[in-house]
Amino acid sequence: MLKSILFVIAAVFISGCVEKNTETLTVLAGSELKDIEPLLGDIERQTGVKLLMNYSGTLEGAEKLIAGVPTDLAWFSHGKYIALVQGDKNRILAQEKIMLSPVVLGVKGSAAKAWGWTDNPNLTWRDIAAKAASGELRYAMADPTSSNSGFTALVGVATALSGSSDALSVKDVDQAQLGGFFKGQQLSAGSSGWLVDAYVNEQARLNGIINYESVLMALNRDKRVEDSLMLIYPQEGIITADYPLMLINGQKREAYNKLVAYLISPEFQQKMMEQTLRRPVIPQVKLSAEFASPLLVELAFPNDLSAIDKLLFAYQDKHRRSSHAFFVLDVSGSMAGARMQSLQIALKNLTGQDQSLSGRFSRFRNRETLTFIPFDNQVYPAQTFTINDPGSQSADMQAVRHYIDSLQPRGQTGIYQALQVAYRMALEARHKEPDRFYSIMLMSDGENNSGLSEDGFAQYIAALPPQDQGIKTFTILFGEASQAGMKQLAEITGGQLFDGRESLSKAFKTIRGYQ
Amino acid sequence: MKKLIAPLLSLLLVLGLGAGIYVSVNEQLGKERIVTVRGLIGSEKEDFFRDPRVVEALAKKGLAVEVEKAGSRQIATQFKLKDYDFAFPSGAPAAEKVKRETKVNKAYEVFFTPMAVASWKTIATILESNGIVKQRDNVYYIIDMTRLLQSIVAEKRWSDLAKNEGYNVKKSLLMGTTDVRQSNSAAMYLSLASYILNNNNIVDSAAQIGPIIQPLESLFLRQGFMENSSAGPFNDYLVMGPGKAPLVMIYEAQYLQEAVRASSGLNDAMVLLYPEPTIFTKHILIPFNDKGDRLAATLADDSDLQKLAIEHGFRNRDAAGFRNFVKSHNLAVPDTLVNVVEPPTFEILEQMIVMIEQRYKGN
Repeated sequence: MLKSILFVIAAVFISGCVEKNTETLTVLAGSELKDIEPLLGDIERQTGVKLLMNYSGTLEGAEKLIAGVPTDLAWFSHGKYIALVQGDKNRILAQEKIMLSPVVLGVKGSAAKAWGWTDNPNLTWRDIAAKAASGELRYAMADPTSSNSGFTALVGVATALSGSSDALSVKDVDQAQLGGFFKGQQLSAGSSGWLVDAYVNEQARLNGIINYESVLMALNRDKRVEDSLMLIYPQEGIITADYPLMLINGQKREAYNKLVAYLISPEFQQKMMEQTLRRPVIPQVKLSAEFASPLLVELAFPNDLSAIDKLLFAYQDKHRRSSHAFFVLDVSGSMAGARMQSLQIALKNLTGQDQSLSGRFSRFRNRETLTFIPFDNQVYPAQTFTINDPGSQSADMQAVRHYIDSLQPRGQTGIYQALQVAYRMALEARHKEPDRFYSIMLMSDGENNSGLSEDGFAQYIAALPPQDQGIKTFTILFGEASQAGMKQLAEITGGQLFDGRESLSKAFKTIRGYQ
Repeated sequence: MKKLIAPLLSLLLVLGLGAGIYVSVNEQLGKERIVTVRGLIGSEKEDFFRDPRVVEALAKKGLAVEVEKAGSRQIATQFKLKDYDFAFPSGAPAAEKVKRETKVNKAYEVFFTPMAVASWKTIATILESNGIVKQRDNVYYIIDMTRLLQSIVAEKRWSDLAKNEGYNVKKSLLMGTTDVRQSNSAAMYLSLASYILNNNNIVDSAAQIGPIIQPLESLFLRQGFMENSSAGPFNDYLVMGPGKAPLVMIYEAQYLQEAVRASSGLNDAMVLLYPEPTIFTKHILIPFNDKGDRLAATLADDSDLQKLAIEHGFRNRDAAGFRNFVKSHNLAVPDTLVNVVEPPTFEILEQMIVMIEQRYKGN
């Protein structure tokens, strides 16, 4: 009897617990928010709301929101661009800033000391641009069209270098002295997280990195970093990311309110500051001593979409180092039909045919050289194009499209011999023009079954002399290609694997941030 | 013994369950007597509605209020107002816009607050040295609004001012505001600035707008991206320091509410400046149905709620209550402001905002 009563009590108790269901909300989030994941458990316990994060790049995220892709919330490092792009669509029903982190430059302590930059309150972006133009400052910065840190940095630098102290306007873009500044950008990436790893791997040849203050502070805690970074807050000012949590689905307002109440509570803010090194948004939580506390002058963020567009295009077509991208393309027999068609569409999209927000900015850029190397069991002659007019109807773009249409599937798959050809060509080109970005993209839908073996290729890469190292291969997984093999291939060259099985076009666009 | 315990426990359990059900049913009945009223408010009133004392005072009157916040001007244009029971924007012009959108004629003036400028002692000192600010009876006044606005319009930077050691920054001299297209506090700054630039006269004809619209536009366009609602810039003021915006146009109530909060975000380096002249923002509630009407009447008439509004920094008919509040918290606040101008008519203000809106589009 006693047992049965206890059982009843237990049952009542348990059912009481089960009633308090957790609610799951989907979040379209910037990849820079991945470091919040360890705190998601706390958030769920405290609010009963489980967050399901779907990561996305800057323009891609904005594009998804505007297109009405279903999501309950959106959470990016800043919402200003999204607010400008949405126009009258009113997708953002509510928003609240959750944390702060300015985008700043970190310079190796030894270099900062040599240049008199240590704790120098008079240091300006102009001084930094001069050091970059002279070749002394060699920094890593993420691509502005795919990463929020790169985007924020570009807007900040352009505003500071325009000489005006107001928000950037279309006319200021022309006057900004951006060319010299971006001469120093020796490493680019499609995401700020990946940029950090690449910086660590290549720290010997670099001496600076632009990223969120939080990321740079975390890097200084990282034992792999040999020369710790001095964070620079230039006199003209910086732009601070404020990480607004945005309500997109009006049905979830109650859960959203609960979330916001917890996220801006002193408890969460304190924990967030300690673990993610971002600054709190409530005055009740004081900045810990680890943060630099100079007067942080905030630059005005432009309110003018056309100025931002113009700036992004000016960066791509004019100011950044020009790149030479190699496309190693599998045209073996298994590509016949729909696969070949999607490859051709994906490539032609990059000639200006994709007019979506992310498409417009991932097109082939002015001054860019493209080399296509098709292969099956043999490697076909490479075809090289240089874009001197990035208009979608220009003769240059049309020539690229014409070539892509001519690709014919046949034969077996010999990946590594084709890749070796690409490396030989890329190295030869880099010897002639060392100031460009060189990268190789490999797309294949199957396993290597012809010619050079994977081991043979790895030996070839390992045997390259030091001055010939560093050209990365970005691989696209497609068809029956081996995920492990493609991943390893990317990794031995310092590159990254992208999944093209769902959408080849999307994978090609994402890789553009690394080219 | 065991035999006795079991039935006894069962009895206790049954009694317990019974009591639980009784309490729960009673709560449910209680809930039914409370009417839930949903409305759109300007963000600066959110803390007032979330205050447990306000919730309790409203519950006593049988009301529970659910609010969503938005820019006061946004309320009239971007929401399906019929989905709500009331709108409670800030500012007579925004209220007028809501009334016209919804063809509702009723409106209750619940409380008001003067516009003020959140700033820092270092900044006030620089402006004092430049003859723009003066301290009287412990209160900072912007005594030369004309000169301040002329300096802003002339695109002066802080580094151009004399004796600027405390803030020798190349930032433009600008007043930080919300987005004038969305929010009332910016519209109040526009109203005030239009008065000053129109040679200290209320703009009352389209002909008077022409000569001053360009400088007025520049007050906003040069700021770049601005927020939709007044809680944003004030929170930045509390958290980000003078590097973000050294002068921020806010409601006096925002500052006072923060000053008396248990763990206040204000510190000794911060000061509130009163423009001379300044302008009042009326907080006007527009009910869309009987429920909204009941809330409006309660907020306007209930003396407890009027006292609580004062605790949140608002002013109302209870001038003595406000004086007590200021005195008991030892705030450097003038209890009466004499140099106050009226905003232009709804049509004139709207015309100016539309012209600025066009400039944004044409850019």
